[in-house]
Amino acid sequence: MSFIEMKNICKKYAGAEKNSVTDFNLNVEEKEFIAFVGPSGCGKSTTLRMIAGFEDITSGELKIGGKVMNETAPRDRGIAMVFQNYALYPHMTVEKNISYGLKNMKVPADEIKKKVDWAVKILGLEEYRKRKPKNLSGGQRQRVALGRAIVKNQKVFLMDEPLSNLDAKLRVSMRNEISKLHRELGSTTIYVTHDQVEAMTMADRIVIMKDGIVQQVGKPMELYERPVNKFVAGFIGSPQMNFYDVTVKGNTVMFADGSKINLPENIITRLNGKKDGLILGIRGEDIKLDSQNLDLYKDSIQHSVVENTEVMGNENNLYFTFGGVNTVARVSKYEISQVGDGIDFVFSPARIHFFDKETEESIF
Amino acid sequence: MKTKAKKISGWILTVFMLIMSLFFLFPVVWMLANSFKGDALITADMNSAAAFIPPALNGSFFDNYITIIKDTSFLRYMVNTLFYAAILIVLGIVVNGLAGYALAKIKFPFADKWLLIIMMLMIIPSETIITINFLTIAKLGLLNNIIGYVLPMIVNPFNIFLFRQVFVSLPDDVYEAAQLDYCSPIKYFFTMVLPMSKTVVATVSVFTFLGVWNDYLWPSLVFTSSDLLTAQIGLNSITSNDNTTMGQTLAVITMITIPVIIIYSLFSKQIVEGVVSTGSKEG
Ligand SMILES: Nc1ncnc2c1ncn2[C@@H]1O[C@H](COP(=O)(O)OP(=O)(O)O)[C@@H](O)[C@H]1O
Ligand SMILES: [Mg+2]
Repeated sequence: MSFIEMKNICKKYAGAEKNSVTDFNLNVEEKEFIAFVGPSGCGKSTTLRMIAGFEDITSGELKIGGKVMNETAPRDRGIAMVFQNYALYPHMTVEKNISYGLKNMKVPADEIKKKVDWAVKILGLEEYRKRKPKNLSGGQRQRVALGRAIVKNQKVFLMDEPLSNLDAKLRVSMRNEISKLHRELGSTTIYVTHDQVEAMTMADRIVIMKDGIVQQVGKPMELYERPVNKFVAGFIGSPQMNFYDVTVKGNTVMFADGSKINLPENIITRLNGKKDGLILGIRGEDIKLDSQNLDLYKDSIQHSVVENTEVMGNENNLYFTFGGVNTVARVSKYEISQVGDGIDFVFSPARIHFFDKETEESIF
Repeated sequence: MKTKAKKISGWILTVFMLIMSLFFLFPVVWMLANSFKGDALITADMNSAAAFIPPALNGSFFDNYITIIKDTSFLRYMVNTLFYAAILIVLGIVVNGLAGYALAKIKFPFADKWLLIIMMLMIIPSETIITINFLTIAKLGLLNNIIGYVLPMIVNPFNIFLFRQVFVSLPDDVYEAAQLDYCSPIKYFFTMVLPMSKTVVATVSVFTFLGVWNDYLWPSLVFTSSDLLTAQIGLNSITSNDNTTMGQTLAVITMITIPVIIIYSLFSKQIVEGVVSTGSKEG
């Protein structure tokens, strides 16, 4: 038995034509950190809010700790939540915000004080205890929201895009703080984000959604290495995976612009004889420009001209046209080229993905 | 950096407003100055600038006020009125506030139609329903009774609308957070919604106070017992008494004006903000 069990959960908003969430199935183990990720409007918040109890579950079953929770009031579900816009009580000080729930739970005053002391300490809010939210920065407000959640000792943390209002740098540091907090407290966490980087870096397992339907559930590297369809392959990873319409003839893959690459027999056989209606996918870092790889696959060397570059030192992206589409290759600092330079490259054969063009399902 | 043209137009505006405020201040200053004078002095000063200057501070300076306080029940009426205003402020905030909250945040059948009806009620002048209210209160045997006076005054469609407009813009996630903090809906209203909406609470309180303080018709219908009368009724009976001097009349008018001036000067910001916010915030 898992700690949180969701069976065929559907949500149809009153007046809506179709489901916002369809047949959501997930088992979450105790202490797990789960991320719901997907583009805006895919139903992440709706699902989270059904778990919290702020939205009715249209059909399906939600169990927390073995108990069916469909009809249970939010406060009795043993959850704490961090909201996207913090949802702090504007007229209360930091301290009061954090202790408000404990006070309502009739926790003795000395214990409340201990808890608040602990929370402001680990969140670095000691100096701000007496301040009101309006006199805090975005990052500090987010910490107060976290503080309010952690003092209550709830088993489950729900977070809905908690970092999306922060600037990029703060987001990275808060990401680490939330991960650290999760390791220290060990509360089961469900974290909603539209940012695949957040999901990849923080989660034990990722649930990736599209149009209200779960596409794939898995560990970050599973999703990265073995996406079940083109959507997952394209959503996870940055820069995005390159996709090409291709046909296969013998051991040769033919691109729309007439380019050809040869693949080893053992890879071609995995296509099970499928010859057209194929999409080839390859990640930027699996397009190789170094001499060793060029040497290794010299019968499939391709040429193009760099059209744009993104040089960041550790991450360097070269943009060019290949196979009739825009392509990005991620290269080491030794292979940085200038715009207008001609480049030679090969696809690392073992790293190539194939998708069925019609269903967009992954073949491998 | 302000441009020169802007500076000049700012000055013109200031001077203009200064002149305008003098126009409004003159009668008040005149009233205040003469409220300390005997009738002979008032008449003597009438045609000179001395009409705007209080008399010298001597033993009889406060005579008019002392007479009013000693010989009439006016102070008592003022206290009565303050007391009624306090009751109506509290009840008005609770009742109209809860109604406004329901219209703003709670889903119930025909919520939009209810709002429309309440807005339509705003255009009905209270004078048109005062007879029926009087008959109802009389039938209930509540004449000369504070309850009878207060009951029909509690609900105020305009205040409901005011509350509703402000509460609509309160974020829903704060309510959700409060639910997870074991805050009941009623507790949420009193400990979160009202404190988060201080401006509208202040506005409604001020409007309620001014309404009660300035009302003449309704209390004069409900109350006949002199223990319960309000300041406006007291003012009327004092000023229409032939034995009252002009100085005493001005003293009693000054007394009844003071609370209003205090309220306006304390809450002018809230009054303006309250009215502006209800108009400009989208609903
Ligand atoms: N209160 C609501 N009423 C009707 N439709 C809604 C409501 N909230 C969300 N939706 C719809 O449900 C879908 C999923 O929304 P949401 O869960 O907020 O997506 P996400 O959080 O992944 O961006 C969207 O199409 C959205 O328009
Ligand atoms: Mg969302």
